[in-house]
Amino acid sequence: MKRKVLAGILSATMMTALLTGCGNKQTSDAGGQTEAKTESAVKTESAAKTESAGGTEAAGGTDSVKPSAAEDPKLTKNMKILSIWAEDNDNGVLIKALCEKYQKEVNPNFTWDYEVVSSDNLRQKVATLVASNDLPDMFVYESGKPIVDLIEAGKLVNVSQVLKDFNCEDALNPSAVSLLKSLSGTDDIYDLPLGMNVEGFWYNKALFEQAGCQVPKTWDEFEAVLSKLKDAGIQPIACGAADKWGATRLLNAYLVRIAGPDVMAKADEGISKYTDKDYVKAAQKMQDWANAGYFGEGVNTVDMNTAGSMLMTGQAAIFYNGSWFTSNLNDASQNLAGEDGIGFFNVPVVDPYVSDQNSYSMNCGNILSFSQKNYDEATGWFMKYFAENMGDLAMEQQGSVKGYNYTVSAEGASGYTKMVLDTINNAESAFTWFEATMDNEVQNVAKDGIQTLLTGELSAEDYMKSIQEAWDMSQ
Amino acid sequence: MKKVLENKTAIAIFVLPALVIYSVIVILPVIWSLYYSFYSGSPGLKWEFIGFDNFLRLFGDSNFKASLAVNLKYISIVMLGQVGMGLLLALMFYFWLKRFKNVIRTLVFFPVVLPTVAVGQLFQKIYEIQPNYGLLNSLLNALGLTGLIQPWIGQASTALGSLCVMDIWVAMGFYAVIFYGALLDIPGDVIEAAKIDGAGGLQLFRYILAPLLRAMIITCLIFSFSGTVKMFESATALTNGGPGAATRSLSMYMYNVSFTYNKVGYGSVVALFIFMLCVLGSSIIRKFDIKE
Repeated sequence: MKRKVLAGILSATMMTALLTGCGNKQTSDAGGQTEAKTESAVKTESAAKTESAGGTEAAGGTDSVKPSAAEDPKLTKNMKILSIWAEDNDNGVLIKALCEKYQKEVNPNFTWDYEVVSSDNLRQKVATLVASNDLPDMFVYESGKPIVDLIEAGKLVNVSQVLKDFNCEDALNPSAVSLLKSLSGTDDIYDLPLGMNVEGFWYNKALFEQAGCQVPKTWDEFEAVLSKLKDAGIQPIACGAADKWGATRLLNAYLVRIAGPDVMAKADEGISKYTDKDYVKAAQKMQDWANAGYFGEGVNTVDMNTAGSMLMTGQAAIFYNGSWFTSNLNDASQNLAGEDGIGFFNVPVVDPYVSDQNSYSMNCGNILSFSQKNYDEATGWFMKYFAENMGDLAMEQQGSVKGYNYTVSAEGASGYTKMVLDTINNAESAFTWFEATMDNEVQNVAKDGIQTLLTGELSAEDYMKSIQEAWDMSQ
Repeated sequence: MKKVLENKTAIAIFVLPALVIYSVIVILPVIWSLYYSFYSGSPGLKWEFIGFDNFLRLFGDSNFKASLAVNLKYISIVMLGQVGMGLLLALMFYFWLKRFKNVIRTLVFFPVVLPTVAVGQLFQKIYEIQPNYGLLNSLLNALGLTGLIQPWIGQASTALGSLCVMDIWVAMGFYAVIFYGALLDIPGDVIEAAKIDGAGGLQLFRYILAPLLRAMIITCLIFSFSGTVKMFESATALTNGGPGAATRSLSMYMYNVSFTYNKVGYGSVVALFIFMLCVLGSSIIRKFDIKE
């Protein structure tokens, strides 16, 4: 009996350790950082939901504090900031620089506390803060489903209203605004963008030349290129399936081209099913490619970083990734292909009437939200400054577009950065990534299954069926 | 002293502080998670009482069943592997390598002190296939066994096995050291007498060593069981539960449900299940002990 009690107590200890200890563990994909950056993106064309649902109304009051003067009244404010980037990294650099600039140039009474949480723990952290009604003044968050919950609970400042009150609505890039609106399904925006990314295929020019390939415009040409590369003994595609989303993006690319930009939104709304013909066809395409050896051996063991370096070192010819990949391309120590060795092309078109050449997969990166509870006039003035100065600052410091209008020229930027800017400017419409409309549970099923789909251990029908089942369960 | 221990008040004074702390940090959270298991969502967001729905859901959840299967396979393979290999190593030190035992013992024990994440990275490199062959595939290639070259951790059929090999490698030194200590405790004349009576290697083990080591074997099995039922960090470091759900354990699933899906209530149900599994497992192992 004693032993049983002892065994019971020991097990109890163990289980508690599981529940509490696991809380802070990371289960991120190897490319968690990048992932977070991309996952929080946007949909435009696929915003069928917005129209059909008529937009989500914020439950909380949107009564904003109107500016009391025409000039910044230099109000005292200590702003608490929650971020996923350290102050010397990525957007953290920009946020810090902007706060310093604001304090120096405009409001000397402005101070700030900067707290960093890992991107994997962001949602959990914010959920905890919401529960204790303790959201920081300004915090980095993810657009899409996560932000909708907070908007519905009335926790966020109506950013559109603030921009209107402080007369700086035109500081934001209109396409970024429309992306944000459609992703939260609201008529106003409740967040500020922190990026403007475009996705597509990066290719190694030297390998294309070696195999005698041209940049493909249509899907048939694309498949011809792949088979030609394979015949020339070159691995056609480096796919970071270890990070899962590297593979689901490919599936999504084909799916959108055969079924239109709103294909994922339709399935999420229940208008179509994930098990419908086109969805299965796209999954089958991925499996066929894997079987044909287009991804090389052991596709599931390659993460996005490795896949990227395979492209840059000439071990693979094509790699799907977003415009944030330019930071790797601009690094001469990583990019052995040189300043002009890598090119970019959009997802080739199957039928221009379904989805055309100028439709790109785009997103807005992580976003910045403001707590409704802590909102005051000082915050409003800071937001105005932020919106009006972020564009120039990001262009000057990092040569990147963040979703704000900028006045400085991009002349000094590298060839790769310019290529991305041109692409973004050419984009006429946008579609989103595979998991954009899915909630976490469906997302995990979609991501886990793609790996066994590629190894042939799961059929295309069963893969899509598992996603549909997860969707059914989540309703 | 005896007087003190007979005094109930004295016992209470000694025991109470520890008991209170233990209750607060161990028993209370267990009860708490039982309470959580009747709710949906996570505290603060969509937190609603739903009665036994979470428990009912457990039975129809194919992800849960898959994780349970993975976990049980992992426990049986790794537990037998760790204890078995540890015992074999200890016998090897004892009978064949007595002279080098210190060097070899250090070498075999070395992986135990390595951080799990480092071991995970190491084995990722060993199993690597793309862009370059790792140690294992290069070896197969050099031996001309090209047919056996495969993405060891990149396909569901071999991933769990690869993970088990890693975890057995990590922990076998620990058990070898324990068993070696136990072997040293066995009087040399018993073994000598058995040898004089004509006992061969297997007989010696079967009739002399195994019965004498019995208590230690059971202790090691419990150690190993408690280590493997938790299966989390090594799988996270090597495969992150993939490919698909091929190496996703119950605790990883519980983590996903609670903290990624934000369904703390359902996660608590899975946690309670793990709790029951622990109680059941250790009581089964204890049964062997009692039979004696």
